[in-house]
Amino acid sequence: MSFILQTHHLTKTIGGKDLVRDVNLHVKQGEIYGFLGPNGAGKTTVMKLITNLWKPTSGSVEVFGETLFPGSYQMLKRMGSIIELPVFYEHLSGCENLKLHCEYMGYYRHGSIEEALELLDLTAAGKKPVRSYSLGMKERLGIARAVLCRPELLILDEPTNGLDPAGMKQIRDLLQALCSKYGTTIMISSHILSEIESIADTIGVISHGTMQKEISMNEIESTSLAYIEVTVANPQRAAYVLSEKLGLTNFRLNGDTCFRIYDSQISTQELSKALSLNDVEILSLGRRNETLEDYFLKITAEVKDHVKAD
Amino acid sequence: MLKLIKLEWKKNKTGKYLMKALIVALLLCLFILALAYLGIANDPDTGVPDAAPGKSAISSPIELFTSMCCLIFTSSMLSSFIISPYMDGTMSLMFSYPIKRQKILISQMLAVWIFSFAALVLTKLLLYAAVLAGSLLKEPDFPIDYSMTSPGFYLQLTLKSAVTVSMGFIALFIGLKMKSAKAALISSFLLIILSQANVGDITLADNALFPALLAAVSLIFAVLSVCQAETKDLM
Repeated sequence: MSFILQTHHLTKTIGGKDLVRDVNLHVKQGEIYGFLGPNGAGKTTVMKLITNLWKPTSGSVEVFGETLFPGSYQMLKRMGSIIELPVFYEHLSGCENLKLHCEYMGYYRHGSIEEALELLDLTAAGKKPVRSYSLGMKERLGIARAVLCRPELLILDEPTNGLDPAGMKQIRDLLQALCSKYGTTIMISSHILSEIESIADTIGVISHGTMQKEISMNEIESTSLAYIEVTVANPQRAAYVLSEKLGLTNFRLNGDTCFRIYDSQISTQELSKALSLNDVEILSLGRRNETLEDYFLKITAEVKDHVKAD
Repeated sequence: MLKLIKLEWKKNKTGKYLMKALIVALLLCLFILALAYLGIANDPDTGVPDAAPGKSAISSPIELFTSMCCLIFTSSMLSSFIISPYMDGTMSLMFSYPIKRQKILISQMLAVWIFSFAALVLTKLLLYAAVLAGSLLKEPDFPIDYSMTSPGFYLQLTLKSAVTVSMGFIALFIGLKMKSAKAALISSFLLIILSQANVGDITLADNALFPALLAAVSLIFAVLSVCQAETKDLM
């Protein structure tokens, strides 16, 4: 298996506090890797360590088959990144910012700047100073800059912040095109799970500074649990029916009145009948499949419980 | 390195600093000419220049005012070239480029140093030349204690200018440590007081060892400002 990016037991401690601990992640060449985690989970820290902005306390980062050291600069030539909010020289125009980027990266290709601006719908704004840009425009300019030098590896930390739904779709299409057309490997973090779900090949979930799961989307889809979701008027009575009358054990209350039943031996028909016979008013009933959001919430909730128990 | 320096100038729109330096040089020129020829420095009672002992020649106010302005100007440039990028996050962008961080910082420092040094030398030359040219028309109130035909004059002017501009690195170090452009500017004021002011007859301005010491200290502070860049996290 060819990994373009790997971390080995990556740990970063600041002021005695572990921001990330023992993180092992594996990004395959040419894939889109969705990096998920709640706020403060350590996504940005990992990305800063990968882009050499921060140095690991222990463990290592391996990019393009080489271990990253404080003096590893040449590999940055093959990477594009947005970490946290994209920053610019605000007094310069978008076009001038991109020109500067090319100069510093040592990248010269005629028409590349115009192409990048056009790709992100910024041609008209290209000559205006960045200080006059909206947040969404800055995000798009940040992405234009990250993809400008045709990097082999793109590290994007929540790049769709501040974008409207149309802008998000545009970025999603662009990332997919970069991946399929140029074979660019993309590591993208986001808190908008539906965004990641539609483009990612592999998902990494980080929570409380530790890597919880690394799984391919195909695997999630094939193993995702089908369940019955039933919303009732009187949940206490319904819980009694489910456990005592039907003998179900694998179900949980999701919210105040909605149950998710993971036991596969029961049909919606049987369930409806049992609840009705026991005077439980059914508000809605249906069979569902777990989404990435469910999967993510399940993992992070388990970790939260575990942390609380500790 | 030259390319990086040029990029720094381009990025920070050095043209606007050039314009400011030009305005400051012209104002200083007017001020020194007024001081030298309009009797501003004369004591109203005695009719002789009201200057501190040893400061009655015209080169003293020229050196004092040009150094003062230059050090503040240099600190302000160092703040916007180096300290502000740490504050506004553009330094993290710079550190994402495939260039050694120390090289980036040195190029930023040199970009300011070269500009300020050239500006200071040219301003001083303008002032000395203007006073000399004025003396052809009117006797100055301050005695002229220099000769623009002597090579020693140019050597001294160059060395003094180099030391003055380098002192900006002390202010830079303090500004970086305190993560504050204001701290850098205040430090430059304190450095001016330390190097140019006098208490009664006591002043460090005429001390021969002091410039050498300051140059050495400035160099140490410059090295300290860049030496940890490779291994330190960019917070």
